[in-house]
Amino acid sequence: MKKNLIYLIGIVFLMASCYPGEIESYQELDLVFTNYDQAYNFVSKGTYAMPDKIVKITGDLAEGEMPEFVKEPYNTQILTIIEQNMTALGWTKVDDPKNADLALMPASWTNTTIVYWYDYWCWYYYYYCGWGWYYPYTTSYTTGTLVMTLVSNSADYTEPHTVWTAAINGLMSGAYNTSRVTNAINQAFKQSEYLSTK
Amino acid sequence: MKRIFAIALICSLLCTTRIYSQVGSHFAMQYDISFGIGDLGDYISAASFRGATFQYRYAVNSNILIGIDAAWNVFYEKKDYDSYTMDTRTLSGVQCRHQNQVPILAAVDYLFKPGSTLQPYIGFGLGTMYSERYTEMGIWALENNPWQFVIKPELGVMYRFNARNAAKLSLRYYSGFGGDLDTQSYLSVSIGFVL
Repeated sequence: MKKNLIYLIGIVFLMASCYPGEIESYQELDLVFTNYDQAYNFVSKGTYAMPDKIVKITGDLAEGEMPEFVKEPYNTQILTIIEQNMTALGWTKVDDPKNADLALMPASWTNTTIVYWYDYWCWYYYYYCGWGWYYPYTTSYTTGTLVMTLVSNSADYTEPHTVWTAAINGLMSGAYNTSRVTNAINQAFKQSEYLSTK
Repeated sequence: MKRIFAIALICSLLCTTRIYSQVGSHFAMQYDISFGIGDLGDYISAASFRGATFQYRYAVNSNILIGIDAAWNVFYEKKDYDSYTMDTRTLSGVQCRHQNQVPILAAVDYLFKPGSTLQPYIGFGLGTMYSERYTEMGIWALENNPWQFVIKPELGVMYRFNARNAAKLSLRYYSGFGGDLDTQSYLSVSIGFVL
């Protein structure tokens, strides 16, 4: 009787345990976030300026050193996709930011996180084992983020004022994936129809 | 893992008391299929096929049983790529939604035909329910784990094989309220054994 009971408990917990259909690809972890200033009238504007390099934000930059930039050909690929989307929304690119209603500033960074299970310290004191007795492990992952900000010129605000922000975040697979980046940038503009000047 | 271990330990302790062998009193284990209703149904529309209920009943007399219920129901749904907008902010991505419901209740059942092979019954339970709502998007996650008060009406039938063992089929409605979540309700269809 007791043996049957244990088998039954086991079967019930097996049925109640794992999840089906979890994340199956890097693409499924891609996120696109946008936000905008509701008070800003995009329809009345029409020109923007954009640098020809994408800044890589690093710790060194914060210490006053010259910034690094995204390498070619990725730099040009990304800027081209951004420009295509801005054009589709009715914006005209100008060379001199002084003559532009808005400046579009792209930047990127990566972030590596190292995770270790605290049972790693089981050898040190049994308390840190918790309830489970697992093999110790460590793991790490790197995420990449591309941020695009639209900043208004001095005609509207005395200080630089961000009127639109888009952030694209994803888990890096180790190889640059053009379609992932393209799709994410396109999505950022697709969910920002209010940017249209038409 | 810790939760499984804790629940298995509690169940093992209940088994070793051998109370279930008393005539009229019993220990029951059931497999649950559950369906979210209201806020829970809006959050996860998919049915849950991962659930279990453990019940102990003590026979006060031939018609009335009192006891405790503990259940664990796991709801999960992977949402397709979509955009979610809140005021001026929009976030797009694939969402994985998880919700664990662990109701623990004091319960009373009324047997309509206590002496017969087929024993229909109605029941009512009152207790607390732990809800664990976990929303994953990208590498980020939001978690909300309130304890709620819960009520549980139940309708079921037991088919007795002999004096101690029976098959049990039941329909339970859980409604948890209070805490940091709206009312969490779900319906469970359960099938299992009385030992």
